[in-house]
Order: sequence, then structure tokens, then C-alpha cells
Amino acid sequence: MPSPLLQIRDATKIYSSGGFLGSGKKSVVALDNFNMTIAESPATITTIAGESGSGKTTLANLVLGFIKLSSGNIIFDGEDITDMSDEQLKEYRRNVQAVFQDPFGVYNPFYRIDHVFDLVNKHFSLSDNQSEYRDMVEAGLNVVGLYGEDVLRKYPHQLSGGQRQRIMMARAYMIKPRLIVADEPVSMVDASLRASILDAMLRLRDDHNISFLYITHDLSTAYQIGDQIYMLYQGTTAERGSAMDVIDAPQHPYVQLLIDSVPVPDPTDKWDVNISLPSEEEMRTAASKGCRYYPRCPHRMDKCLVEQPPLFKMDKPGHEAACYLYEERDIAPIEPPMLVNRPITEAAIVAVSNRNRERLVAAALIVIAFFVGVLIASIREPEVIVETVVEEVVVTATAIPPTEPPTATPLLTATPESQVIVPAFVVEPEGASDKGVITWGVDTVEEIEDADDRHSYTFAGFEGATVRLKLITGGRGLSGTGFYAPLATIFDPDGVIVFAFDRSRRSHSGELTFPVDGAYQIVIGADERGRGVEVYTITIEGDMPEPTPMPTLVPPAFIVELEGAVDKGLIVLGEDAVNEIENAGDRHIYSIEGIAGTTINVKLITGGRGLSGTGFFAPLMTIYDPNGEIVFYFDRARRSNSGSFTFAMTGAYQIVIGPDERGRGVEAYTITFADA
Amino acid sequence: MSEQNNSASDRVVLNVDNLRIHYATPQGDVIAVSDINFKLYEGETLGLVGESGCGKSTTAYGILQLVQPPGYIVHGSIEVEGTEVLDLTEEELRKFRWTGLSLIPQGAMNSLNPTMRVKNQIIDVIESHEGKANYEPFGERLKAFLRKLRLPRRKEKEPLRKYLGELRQNLVLLLRYEPLKERIFDLFQQVGLPNRIYNMYPHELSGGMKQRVCIAMGVALHPTVVIADEATSALDVVVQRIVAQTLVEVKDEIGVSLIVIGHDMGLLAQIVDRIAVMYAGKMVEIAPVENVYANPLHPYTQLLIDSIPSIKERKPLKITEGITHDPRNPPSGCIFRLRCPFAWEHCALEEPSQIIVEEKHEVACHLFDEQFEKRRSDAFATIANS
Repeated sequence: MPSPLLQIRDATKIYSSGGFLGSGKKSVVALDNFNMTIAESPATITTIAGESGSGKTTLANLVLGFIKLSSGNIIFDGEDITDMSDEQLKEYRRNVQAVFQDPFGVYNPFYRIDHVFDLVNKHFSLSDNQSEYRDMVEAGLNVVGLYGEDVLRKYPHQLSGGQRQRIMMARAYMIKPRLIVADEPVSMVDASLRASILDAMLRLRDDHNISFLYITHDLSTAYQIGDQIYMLYQGTTAERGSAMDVIDAPQHPYVQLLIDSVPVPDPTDKWDVNISLPSEEEMRTAASKGCRYYPRCPHRMDKCLVEQPPLFKMDKPGHEAACYLYEERDIAPIEPPMLVNRPITEAAIVAVSNRNRERLVAAALIVIAFFVGVLIASIREPEVIVETVVEEVVVTATAIPPTEPPTATPLLTATPESQVIVPAFVVEPEGASDKGVITWGVDTVEEIEDADDRHSYTFAGFEGATVRLKLITGGRGLSGTGFYAPLATIFDPDGVIVFAFDRSRRSHSGELTFPVDGAYQIVIGADERGRGVEVYTITIEGDMPEPTPMPTLVPPAFIVELEGAVDKGLIVLGEDAVNEIENAGDRHIYSIEGIAGTTINVKLITGGRGLSGTGFFAPLMTIYDPNGEIVFYFDRARRSNSGSFTFAMTGAYQIVIGPDERGRGVEAYTITFADA
Repeated sequence: MSEQNNSASDRVVLNVDNLRIHYATPQGDVIAVSDINFKLYEGETLGLVGESGCGKSTTAYGILQLVQPPGYIVHGSIEVEGTEVLDLTEEELRKFRWTGLSLIPQGAMNSLNPTMRVKNQIIDVIESHEGKANYEPFGERLKAFLRKLRLPRRKEKEPLRKYLGELRQNLVLLLRYEPLKERIFDLFQQVGLPNRIYNMYPHELSGGMKQRVCIAMGVALHPTVVIADEATSALDVVVQRIVAQTLVEVKDEIGVSLIVIGHDMGLLAQIVDRIAVMYAGKMVEIAPVENVYANPLHPYTQLLIDSIPSIKERKPLKITEGITHDPRNPPSGCIFRLRCPFAWEHCALEEPSQIIVEEKHEVACHLFDEQFEKRRSDAFATIANS
């Protein structure tokens, strides 16, 4: 079982005030036996939501180590943070960074923005080399959609709240943390600028594998970007689960009221009932033992006063609600703390309060049962392996030249054990532009299609080999229409699902180790609501031998129609730039000589009116190899992009810059090529 | 919620005409509010939206004549039921605030005096306008007290106890004379506050209660127009809903007109009748709330509606940049043209005037000029396609 990134177990925080020698002391329970787990990978955005006084900020302060727990444990990467040495604490602070609510208060108004980054460099000694350090700052700013030249020499008051908050994200990113605690990062920023901050969070999650603890009372942003959500009510978890499950179908009466109270931006759908709060006396006497929501609950029962309800399992996996209305359902188990080198030792159990001991033991039994299961499975596995000759497969695989036409059969005929060549089932392929067979070295499918098409591709897999998969979706279908990522699923030759992409993200990557030899199918189709995507790219990457250089320069296999006389035509490899100011609807094409094995850096900066704030994207800017295969393309959501790629073969590569599928392009752009 | 359309009549209670407010800076004046025009009808709730710095709060403070230096009103006219606010003297203005115009300020929790009891703050508002005239002189009260001072009669049950009770009550009336108490209790009732907060200090109240105390003060003197500046922004959704509902109920009950300033498009959809959208000091669109959400006309309004985060449907983020021009030196022609997806040469040449597209619906965009009919249909076709 992998160690989770952050585990919070039975965390209780009591604030006490007044009293002398323990007499007349008042105490407020800010957090009561709270449990949470954030997985190591993939990175997630875990939302903590609730009203003021629900314990959200207490939780953030606890995780950041500003305050100490009254009881319970916070375990980061297998180490309890209260037991950490100074050395470990420093490392912990590097790994867990914070972004605060007030984008105005965190800056010293007397210093320019670059001072913020200089301080980071000083404290965390990121780099001694000035130019390397400047590149790091620039890279950090680019991640959050800003450019050094625009912001670094400015004073804080010259920037908008959204920019300031994104700079805080960039600052946190530079330290390369694994978790960012974001305490209400958007609540003081204008509604129209919030999206830019949320987008920066998504990028850090998807592209840089940084998890977030996103603390907010704004449920709509949690719904838009959150993976997991914890709804707190007076220091206890009222409900938790995936953000979409919880907000679409809240189960706890408090969460139902909360979600009903979020104003709907539709004047035809108004609040139908007036609600009121009970008097303060009633609120204050809120059951100290029983359910905290008792005084306000419309469904309250006598039982609710006796004991605090545990979390019961709801229909969706991971969706749990603490309410006796669901008493007949199973109680959700609490994962035991996972400490490095001492998993579930006595010490760990003692640290947990007595109250949850029974539940913990039950959970421990489940864990033991799981390990037994794994053990049984691992005993059975060798029997399967015996039948196939692994070494032979690997040898034959490396012998295949990468320039060979992409078919699955040559790879597979080399493995005598593998009888399965064709997929066990075939999904009807629609659309003539389907690529068919993918070679897994580095290969990509890029489709621009109708949203409701279904596509199917095949590629060869050999047992034990691992490939890296990446799916990026985009296009019109996704902007503002609520289209989801499609059901992208990989089936093994027997038709069993071996990999599925996370549909709630625009980009997703993961690894797949082939269980058997044979033809694997990727099926991309409309989802169960008939919604699909128009544009997507799947990339399959695996270890393949060095490409063999081709002897002569070949012309491109196809040429996109050339428009506009000012096109530069041929770009010289080394250091060359194209700078265009044109009508947005033009299509431009350039050629560059690629030499197999050479790596170049490419940078595209787009600008002009077409892009400022209107939701226009960068154009389709794509590099094709001499065979007309796409080898590189820029991220269309950004105004500036840079990257590097290695020519797989020698020949004339084509760069095509054109309007996107909606006919929108850019007016001004600069592409720069440089030797790596 | 009541049917709000029924509550608004056609009688204009507030008419803002060509109002312009600048903030003086050493580098030149920042144009905070630039020649805006709008009318507020009797019994209507008008929402004023826009991003921070667009001039919505400055407009409110301009109407109330509370613009602080370096801000100043360049020109314009603000008429409240025929009274020109800009012509009032300082003394007349002081009288006019709370009775003609009142403000529920931004972050109301911090606008109460922490050292005064709630009752004294409300009494202060009432007395500063109506004077202490309703105080009976102490002599009169003493006479009344002595008149009531009679010996207990034997026939009554528990005579002494009742007598002492009456005596105590009369003594309280004599010594702690609170003529406004009943009136304040009525106000509390209107905004849904319990009577026990009468003697409390602001720190003893929750955020929602403090906000309601401010609403009570705002409506205490039955003003013609109440301006609520981000009155619910700092509250939780549940409390926000209660306060917003209180605001609308009180408005309907005493029949004032309300201007709600905010940036939460969701909340405004719930409580207002018409929405005025501001961008960089200009009013770009003013329309009945149903039109704005169903069919926004101005490209900026469209952007604003598109960027509302939803809890019904997960959709990709719509990223927009903030105000891009220098507010001291706005671009020629249309103020929004730098960010507008439909801008063309004409937008830089001429500033769009407010075009009336239908009753109570005005938009300041060249696309709605009849001579650019073709361009509009093309522009809207591209949206429809996407």
C-alpha cells in the first residue's frame, strides 16, 4: 500500500481562554476528531468548505504548523509532524507551502515584486547562479500565466489582486512543494479575475503534480476545480466525497441547506422559502455530545442528542455523510495512520483517542485482510509468468526499427506465446480520419472531430513492458458548454479495461504496464450523456531504441496551402525567428530542416488584440514531420509557450500556424528556434 | 420571495444625470465615474455590478455626497424626488441623509461604533434628525410619577406586591426614560433581530446581526432611497441569504427604493429587479434582470455572465484579464474596446451612447446602432456557433 501524502487522524483542537488554575475556564472545540487523507499521487485538490467558525482555518493553521493539535496526529509522508526534527521540519516547510487569503497584506509595499522571489531564494537557497535563478523565476511565473518583464519590476500596488495572488502561487511553486495550503485564495479577488487563479491551481495540479488543500466557503469554485470535498460543520465532518457527488446530491441536512443557499445566477430560479436561524442560546447549547447540527436540523431525532453520528457510506464510492438518517448503511472505516518504518505500531494506536479505537481496530482488520489478499495474489502470479518467456519478448521488441510502418503485427509475430493479435472485441470505428494503429515509442493521435464521434485505435503491447500515456482534450466542445472529457479507456486483448482516464480533467497522464501480449484498444467516445470532445491528443511514450538517422533530406510529404506573401518560408536551424503581424484569419506555413537526433528549443509568443481578455485562444500551431505526422504542438491556452523537441528523422519539418477550428487566430506572433 | 415586478412603479425617485467623479493624483485625474445616467423607479431594486475599481462604490458615494478628497464631483445632476442633491448646503445635506438617502455601508460590521450600545447608535440616528422633541421634560414626568403614586388598596389580592411592581415600573419610566424603545423594537422586528440586543454592544453580536442592525439604521427614518454597498459580501452563504431576504422584505414593507451594489451575480439575480453594469467608470448596460441573464447584450455583460462559477455544471474556466488601460488616460472611443472580441475601427473613433433597445433596457455599444445591424448579426452568429 503506498504511503499517503498527508494524513490527519482524530485531530482535535481546543482553544481555551480565561480561568485561573483551571477554574472557570472556557473552551471552544474548533476541530473535533477530524480525519482526512490526501493521496500521494495523482495530485488532487482537496476542498475544505464550511461556514465561518467551522474550523477551516484552524485546519489550515494546523497543517502549516502555526498551531499545535490538542490531540491526534498529522502525518506527512509517513512522519508525524509533531515528532519531526528541526531538519525534517525544514524539509516539511519546503514541501508544504501556503497561499493566503489577503493578496494585499502579504506584500511589503516598499519593495518591488522581485523581492518576494529573492527572499525565497535566500531562505531555500534555490540557486547561486543568477541567470539560472532568473530562469526559475520566469518559469514559475509562466506556470501561473504571468511574465517576468510585466511584473517583476513593479510595486505590489501596481498589480491587480488576481496577479498578486498568482505571484504567490508562483512563489510557492518555485520551492517545488508537494502540497499547497490555499486558505481562501480567491475570496478577496474580483469575480472576473478568480478564474485565472483557479486555472493556475489546475495547472500546478495537472502539470506539476502539486496537491492542494483548498480552504473556502465558496462552493461554486470548489465545484469547478475540486476533486475531494470535506464539508465541515462546527469542527466535524458533516459530509465528504468527490466535489461533484457532494454538491450534485448532498445528503447531510446541513449541506443540503448550504447548497440550497448558494445563489443561483438565474432570476427565474429564485429562493422559494425564507429561512431563519434559531436563537443564539439554542445554537450555543448545541449538543456537546450529540450531533452539532441538532438545533438547526429539520430532521432531528432523539438519537442525535445521544452520540455524534459517524460517517455513513453513501451510494457513490468515497461519498460519506455523518447523519443518522442513513443509519441503516455501513459506517465508513477510518484508515489507520501510516508511519514510515512503523506502520500501525502500538505508539500510533495509543496516540489515537480511545473513542475511535473500535473503529480503528475494525479498519486494521480490513487492512490485514487486504494484505492477505495481496499475499494470495502474489502467490498466484508466478504461475502465470511461467508460461511466457519474458526475456525473449524484450529482445525482440528492441530489435524493431522505429521507422517501420506502424502496424501491430510485426511486433507480435515475434512473440510465439502470444496468439492474440486482433482485439477480442471491436468498437465500431466512426470517422474516416481515425488513425487506426498507434506505434508505442512516442506516438500521438490528434483528432479534430465532431463531439459525438467514437474513435478506436489499436496498439501493440508486450507483457511486462511499461508505457506512459497522456491524454489532452480541448477544443470548442469544452469551452463553456459543459462538455466533459470523454470516456477514454484502454482495453486489453481480452476486452478487459486496463486503464481509464480521469474524466474530470482536461489533461491526464499515467502509466500502464501491459499484463499480456497482444493488441490493446483505446476507445474514445462520447460519455453516457452523449457529450464528447472535439479535439484531443493521446500520446503514448515508451522506451524505444535511438532513432537511426536517415541518409538524405526528404521534402515534406504534404504541404498545407500557403497564404500570405510575407511568410518567411524556410527557417534556419540554429537561431532564427519569425515575427508576423497579420490578419487573424491567415494561415502560415514554414519549413525547417530537421536532422535526426538534434534537439531544438522552440518558443512561441502570441499577442495582438485578438487575444486580450476575450477568451480567444492561441492558434493551432503545429509541427509536422516529413511524413506529415504531428511531432509538436503548442498549448493553446497560453499566450506564450516554450518547449524543446528532438527530430526523430532527418527531413523537412513543417510548421503550420493557422486559425483554430472556429476560424480565430492571432494577429501577432513570434516563433524562435534555437539549438538546445 | 415576493414578485418583484409588481412592486416597481414608473415614478422616478432618483435621477442621476451625466455624473462624473474624478480622483485627483499628482499624475493627473483618475476618472472613477464617467458621465453616467440612470433612473431609479419607486419601489425598485437596482443592482449595480462591475469589477473592483469600476466605480460602483464611487457612484454610490457620489449620490450620497460622501466623496472624500482627493475625489471630487466634476459635474452632473442627482435628483431625489425633485430635490437636487448637489445644490444642498452642508446642513441641509446632513438632514437629507438618512431621510432622503441612506447607506448600508460595505463591511457593516466595522461601521458600528464599538463603544456604544446598539440602542444608543440607533437613537443617535433618529435624534440627530428628529431632535429630542419627543422627550417630555423631567418636571412633567415627575408630576405624572407623583400622580401615579397612590397607596395600595386593601381589596386587591397581593396588594403590596402589585403596588411595588407598579412603583418600580414608574420609577424606571421616570429615571430611565426611553421614548424610542418601542420604535426601535419595531425596527428590530422588521429586520428580524431579537429585542434583547437593545442593550448590547456590537462585539456581542454575530456578523449577520450587525449587518441587520445597519439595515435597521438605514431604514429607520423611511428614506426614499437606500443604497446597500456590498452589504452581504463578508457573510456565509446561509447568513447572506437571510440578510438578503431581510433587505428585500424590509424594502417591500416600507416601500423604499433600493440600490444594491455587489459583484456576486448569483446573489443579485435573486434579489434585484434591474441591473446596471459598470465598466471602468462607464455604465455599459442597464436592463431588467431577466434580460441580463437570459440575453446579455453588451460584450462585457456577456463576459460577466459567462464567468459566473456554477454549482450545477462543471465547465472550463473562462479566464479574463483585468482593466487593461490606464484609468488616467482612457482609450479613445469605447472604453471596452481593448478587451472586446467584436471591436472594429469605428469603436476607436466614436464613444457609444446609451441606446434604448427596449423599455428600461439601455446598452452603450455600437453594435446596437441601427447602421451596424449587419455587424451585430455576424458577431452574434459567431457566438451562437461556439
